[in-house]
Amino acid sequence: MELLVCIKQVPDDSVTVTLDPATGGPQLKDITPVVNAFDTYALEMATRFKEANGGSVTVVTIGDEAALTPSLRSCLSVGAEHAYVVTEPAAVSALGKSYLLGKAAGKLAEGPFDVIFCGCESTDTADGQAGVQLAEQLGLPVITNVLELEPKDGGISAKQETEEGYRVVEAPCPCVVTVTKPAYEPRYPSIKSKMAARKMPIGTLSAADAGAEEARVAAAPAKRVVLAAPPQRQSGVKIQEKEAAESVRRAMEMLAGQKLI
Amino acid sequence: MQNHGILVYMECADGQPVKAGLEALNAAQRLAAQQGGKPVAAVLLDSADAAAEVGAYGAAEILSAQVGGYQAECYAAALTELCQRYEADCLLMGSTRDGKELAARVAARLGAGCVTDANGLSEQGWVRSVYGGSLLETVAVEGTAVVTVRSGSFGKPEREEGRTASVQEETVAIPEVRAVIRDTVKELAEMVNLEDAEVIVAGGRGMGSAENFAMVKELADLLGGVVGASRPAIEEGWVPRNHQVGQSGKIVAPKLYIACGISGAMQHVSGMSGSGYIVAINKDEDAPIFDVADVGIVGNVNEILPLMIEEVKARKS
Amino acid sequence: MAYLINPEDQDLLDSVREFCEKEIKEQCKEYDVSGEWPAEIYKKAAELGYNGLEVPEEYGGLGLERITVAALMEEFAKADAGFVTTITASNLALKAVLIGGNEEQKQHCCDLLMEGNHGAFCLTEPMAGSDAGNSKTTAVREGDEYVLNGRKCFITNGGVASFYVVTAMTDKSQGVKGMSAFLVEAGTPGLSTGNHENKMGIRTSNTCDVVFEDCRIPASALMGAEGEGYKIAMKTLDMSRTWVGCGAVGIAQRAIDEAVAYGKQRITFGKPILKNQGLQFMIADMEIRVETARQMVAHALKLMDAGLPYSRESAIAKCYAGDIAVQNALDAIQILGGYGYSREYPVEKLLRDAKIFQIYEGTNQIQRMVIGKSVIGKF
Repeated sequence: MELLVCIKQVPDDSVTVTLDPATGGPQLKDITPVVNAFDTYALEMATRFKEANGGSVTVVTIGDEAALTPSLRSCLSVGAEHAYVVTEPAAVSALGKSYLLGKAAGKLAEGPFDVIFCGCESTDTADGQAGVQLAEQLGLPVITNVLELEPKDGGISAKQETEEGYRVVEAPCPCVVTVTKPAYEPRYPSIKSKMAARKMPIGTLSAADAGAEEARVAAAPAKRVVLAAPPQRQSGVKIQEKEAAESVRRAMEMLAGQKLI
Repeated sequence: MQNHGILVYMECADGQPVKAGLEALNAAQRLAAQQGGKPVAAVLLDSADAAAEVGAYGAAEILSAQVGGYQAECYAAALTELCQRYEADCLLMGSTRDGKELAARVAARLGAGCVTDANGLSEQGWVRSVYGGSLLETVAVEGTAVVTVRSGSFGKPEREEGRTASVQEETVAIPEVRAVIRDTVKELAEMVNLEDAEVIVAGGRGMGSAENFAMVKELADLLGGVVGASRPAIEEGWVPRNHQVGQSGKIVAPKLYIACGISGAMQHVSGMSGSGYIVAINKDEDAPIFDVADVGIVGNVNEILPLMIEEVKARKS
Repeated sequence: MAYLINPEDQDLLDSVREFCEKEIKEQCKEYDVSGEWPAEIYKKAAELGYNGLEVPEEYGGLGLERITVAALMEEFAKADAGFVTTITASNLALKAVLIGGNEEQKQHCCDLLMEGNHGAFCLTEPMAGSDAGNSKTTAVREGDEYVLNGRKCFITNGGVASFYVVTAMTDKSQGVKGMSAFLVEAGTPGLSTGNHENKMGIRTSNTCDVVFEDCRIPASALMGAEGEGYKIAMKTLDMSRTWVGCGAVGIAQRAIDEAVAYGKQRITFGKPILKNQGLQFMIADMEIRVETARQMVAHALKLMDAGLPYSRESAIAKCYAGDIAVQNALDAIQILGGYGYSREYPVEKLLRDAKIFQIYEGTNQIQRMVIGKSVIGKF
């Protein structure tokens, strides 16, 4: 099967993002860009699917080619065979981006794709819309929050995470899946795969190449109007007695004083 | 056909509205008030039984349709059709996994702006967390909005016994389902109600093992509270994921929150910093959890917790 | 500053660093306590090709520059010195084969490392450490075979290697000139390993006796000619010493990293302790040492690249880096104070790990003999 994985580059989510007072936007200058964690799960799932069932894995992203090259190379070193950037600065909303990705997917040489993988959400804006809206705009079935995936009767069967457990959902191909944290971690690149990825080509296409309408790419019915730091809580007392028992006794006194116990 | 203004999809389980749905109803009523008293209609799909309960919680009207059991494609089609039929300005629902999927689907079909995980409403728009809870963004929607409401953010609306709403039976077209749900498995037996808990005792990576994590449960039980957890504890498998507090779990605001062996990553802190009184136990005196704690105990949590449990037992007897 | 590597190789450094952070650093704390060999971690590392970093391109290796390999090895050492010891020891055995083996032997051992296996270099004996020529292990030719008898000790990877480079006396009357080197496969009947040593440090590396009891190996296992064993071993150690120095630099750097991280946060008398000039000077001295050692490693590697003699520089790199790793670990402990002495914090382990770098692959006294002789010459 031909598999496509849509990825997004995000600021390293282990770093706390602060507000840049000059621009009113997020201060991202010194934060390493990384591939969105859920997209790395999606890529790993796609790669495992390919290894078990044959086919190839292509990754695609939207944005600036130079800025995205390291992320795409890292995808190429852990399972992807082909990589593309859709160079389009106007796409900002989930709706616009998913429309553009859908259009671009139709133009890639490796397509048509049987399964399109997306992370279930990104760690930066956490909208969780792109995968679902990509499917909607392509008129494809979608299975969200996928934990496991296998081929079944020419289509796929997926284990979908729910609040209380999971569901088994089946869909014909082509289809879209959004991937949540599976039971495994993404693989590390080997020295060899890392070096090989340097030599692999990265394709580019513009919105026009993809045949996307400018207005739909730029559509953003929901827009950020304010970005602010959350209210800060004041820290209270820190207790560090020589004896743990004394620390506990002091803490319990305070709780009792507040009538909390 | 009349404009119903604001629709709320009332997610139900076993014939009862789920909490996330009721919070969405509360958010809808706040929005309605902000916009000059627009009517709020609740949508029930395959859950006509819940009408009385939803009425008691204050929905002005109930639109009820039979869709033939949960299939995301059918529910999305039904909600889209009802939004179009009643020219809704805003469709709200709870931020459950299903809710978020349905919202994105319906928004794509309507060409509407979609806001997921809203945790507040200001004059300018819907407020939500970004960058793992480090920052808050306000999102303004032009035209129709589809919004999911973060559990624990808006609270449930007042319930008035005997209050009822008129129920309108709706007929909607049911599409042929492509992504078919074949089986539903409930793995997590117990219901975890972190949002309503007055006391939460939560454990993190610092607990070190499933055996040690049992102390968190013991203390929670003693205090009549609920067990919470940070993401690492979930990933270690010490406690089921429905106990998770934080960005990818529940937003909570108990009177007392005891964080045991939790370092205090923004991801977690943003889910519990609204608590009334926070106690943190961590061996690392520089752990960020102490920045939000009213009382911080620097020490080995596996040494502190047994003593704390003994103290509580002693005070109880 | 770090090694000046080809910018293109930065991505390798990043991915190795990530692996070390997520898979080695914390995990090895537990193995440091238990002394168990972390097979799972080594398996993961092997799958990523970390065992074969030094395999030459003509034998199927990746053709990495030496300086890049050094940068990667430093990352391993920073994460856990036992880990880097395991990798370095495999490459020590490989070096011996590349120096003294025939084409078939070279290709075979390169393949083994590329496939993720380990190697062991068996020179040291209970009565032959620094005095390696005093070997009691014998190899007696019988038809198309040699029969090995003897006991090697303190052999890194002894219990986990796929191949062993073994020195043994083929002609005792000739002294060191009667020593020969052999390539022995794991699993050869008569080859057994003793108990895993309970060591002070580098506890995630496997160290044990390797025992030969009427161990019959084909005559083709001989490396080079009879009598060349000592020369092969000495050349091997000459080259390997730089890499031991590289590992020591990693420990010394980790000591700085831990001391600085702690010292910025630890408040005494109302300010972070690193606001005190006294401690700033300590950090500066630590940095001077580590940087000097690192550049000595780089210099020795540069000489190897250029095909120039490097024995003296390699000995200097090993000796100095080993000494300063111990000193930096001591200073880090001092800066962390009571916590530095506690096993709850990572720096006491650095001292236990660093100490061996003054001992193995030629004690620092032996290095000083080598260096001294090279300066003074014959007179």
